[in-house]
Amino acid sequence: MKSILAPLKALSFLGREPVTLPIAPRPAAPNYRGFHINDWEKCIGCGTCATICDNYAIRMVDIKDLSSDPIKGIKPRRPAIDYGRCCWCALCVDVCPTGSLALSREYVHIGLDLNTFFILPDEKGMHGLGFPKGWAKSSDSDLLDLKRQPIPELTAKERQDSFVEIVQGFDDQTALLEASRCIQCGMCHDACPTHMHAPEYIRAIWAGELEEAVQQIYRTNPLANVCGRVCTHRCETACSIGVRGKAISIRWLKRYAMDKVSHERIKQIASKGRNTIESGKKVAIVGAGPAGLTAAYDLARQGHAVTIFEALEKPGGMMRYGIPEYRLPYDKIDEDIDVIESMGVDIRCNVHIGHQMASLENDFDATLIAIGLHGGRSTRVPGTDHPHVYSAIDLLRRLTLKEKIEVKKKIVVIGGGNVAFDIARSLARLQRNLFGEVKVVITALEDRENLLASPVEVKEANEEELQLFTSRGPRRCVVKDGTLMGLETVRCISIFDEQGRFHPKYDDSDLIFHEADMVVEAIGQAPQLDFLGDELTERLEWDKRGRPVINQGGCTSEPWLWAAGDVVEGPDVIHAIAAGHRVANSIHQYLSIK
Amino acid sequence: MQEKGEDYKSLKEMVTIGEILKKASAFEQSAFNFYSTLKVSKRLRPLVQDLAKEEQSHLDLFQTLSKHPDLENHIADLVKVPASDHRFSDYILLPKQDDFRDEQAILQYALGREQVAMQQYDSLAKETPPGPIQDLFRFLANEELEHKKELEKWYYEIVHSGGV
Repeated sequence: MKSILAPLKALSFLGREPVTLPIAPRPAAPNYRGFHINDWEKCIGCGTCATICDNYAIRMVDIKDLSSDPIKGIKPRRPAIDYGRCCWCALCVDVCPTGSLALSREYVHIGLDLNTFFILPDEKGMHGLGFPKGWAKSSDSDLLDLKRQPIPELTAKERQDSFVEIVQGFDDQTALLEASRCIQCGMCHDACPTHMHAPEYIRAIWAGELEEAVQQIYRTNPLANVCGRVCTHRCETACSIGVRGKAISIRWLKRYAMDKVSHERIKQIASKGRNTIESGKKVAIVGAGPAGLTAAYDLARQGHAVTIFEALEKPGGMMRYGIPEYRLPYDKIDEDIDVIESMGVDIRCNVHIGHQMASLENDFDATLIAIGLHGGRSTRVPGTDHPHVYSAIDLLRRLTLKEKIEVKKKIVVIGGGNVAFDIARSLARLQRNLFGEVKVVITALEDRENLLASPVEVKEANEEELQLFTSRGPRRCVVKDGTLMGLETVRCISIFDEQGRFHPKYDDSDLIFHEADMVVEAIGQAPQLDFLGDELTERLEWDKRGRPVINQGGCTSEPWLWAAGDVVEGPDVIHAIAAGHRVANSIHQYLSIK
Repeated sequence: MQEKGEDYKSLKEMVTIGEILKKASAFEQSAFNFYSTLKVSKRLRPLVQDLAKEEQSHLDLFQTLSKHPDLENHIADLVKVPASDHRFSDYILLPKQDDFRDEQAILQYALGREQVAMQQYDSLAKETPPGPIQDLFRFLANEELEHKKELEKWYYEIVHSGGV
């Protein structure tokens, strides 16, 4: 009965006032997924948002006026959104490493021009109206793991009296977890001087394909065991995960891959793509450091006959003679060099070129100078000519050569860089063995926050009971009746002026006497270029810092002679490797047309 | 007699602006001569040439200043000899060339010169009443300070940073 009368119910609406809802949008919910907003100050242009978008709705657009800094991991580009494709899933927001990207509560856009649906959002949103945030990153929605996996290492007690390697390396499980944190943005690749394919090898580690990882590593780095341990890891400074959390342990992951694959297999992997046809050209390289070895590796792979002349008894340069074994075991250097030698590189050690550069010019098609900075600088403050005042670089070399060093009971090291900490910690180990206690003081010009040494070195030195005096400038070595009594330092108020120029200012009234019977200077290094001889020195062009003038490919003013590595770029392994590649390429081109 | 002796002593401690400018020119000239004739390997020559060029620009500045009308009227004015004067004068005498075996030694010498010159002009500015002469000394002190800072930058790059 009710259903029969139901249509009549409609008649009751006749004559009623119609209800019209307003066209203006209603306020959206607090977590609404409206149009994107992007804080350009926070955004680093990594492009992770674009990579994760399954709809290809995000494209990275280069912005001309934005600053670019690959070293800090900043690219001059910002995400543009295509709302014809976007499904508002907000994965881009959840994966954004900086948290710059969010969705607003704005959701109305009417336009006949389709181009207006493709926008470059900034913090004011689609229409510049400054709508409040809707869906934004929260700890629940964050797709990133900001915590780094700890790397196992020896405790201070376990390591302080020996030169056993401190860092033990990842196990399979932690390596996998660490690799899984990587978002493959590639900022590390851009920041690395030799542009290592870190995203690729990290991905391979994550997939459990360690040989693939090694292959990716060898695309740009023939000293991977070394760099897996002592690289200055600019990649990690640029890592986008590091913006809010701890950067991926890229260096330790490289080491993990190298440690897990057998040495013989690594040699096979490295030999892939080697040109087996001999070019008939001969290249001489002076110095078996990272630049010389890298150049040799590249040139040998291209079929050239490469001979390295090394003055010391083993190859490796500053990697072997400047870095203590507890940071870089010698057998790992040997493994890297063995791979390079397996390419056919002939390394002749204990060969002092002396003044025979002319014979290299005649006997070889090209020559590369790739010597390190093996000379130690002195502050030359009064008293530094005392026989118990040493150069850190000399001592480190003598330690590697197992030469006898008269270690004293009270030692002061001048310097705040890695070399200062390396020699101080090495001498502390010897002191502990000899005397059962450590009395090593490090005096650095810099304050604690601006020390040049890596924070890890500083932390570990502290754990090993070395004393650190920061903001101290050496005034004089105190010598009494021919006996070294110690070092006087004054407080350094500031090192640089307002324009960032070195202009140290001291407070002479704040003086400390550091008692010592041995002082070690670790303030800087210098090249030893006497072997070039007067005639070649005169022929070459030099810059005002005393370095040979080179072109982009590393060629000097003499067309047969190249220079690379510390002698032209300053001390750093990964830069030396990058330079090695660069000069090898230049030499190869030169030989190809010769 | 006592009073006359004090007058004589204080007069001895005074020097004319003309004499100061002459000594300053000699100071810069000696530096230019030193860097120009320093026998170093070709590797160090660009550094030494740069230093010589800088001293030449200082020398030119003094030539220009000595002819400036504002200063010509004050050329006979007396100024108290500053405490740093003897060290300033010492630098007019050239050191032995053998002492300059590397870039560090050359830069340390150059820095020493700039420091002494800066102190000299600064002291002279303090001993001079406000006016064009004081402005001149302040300007010169600032010039030397700027040059010293530039040298310190080189020093840091060459000595502390391995040349980079």
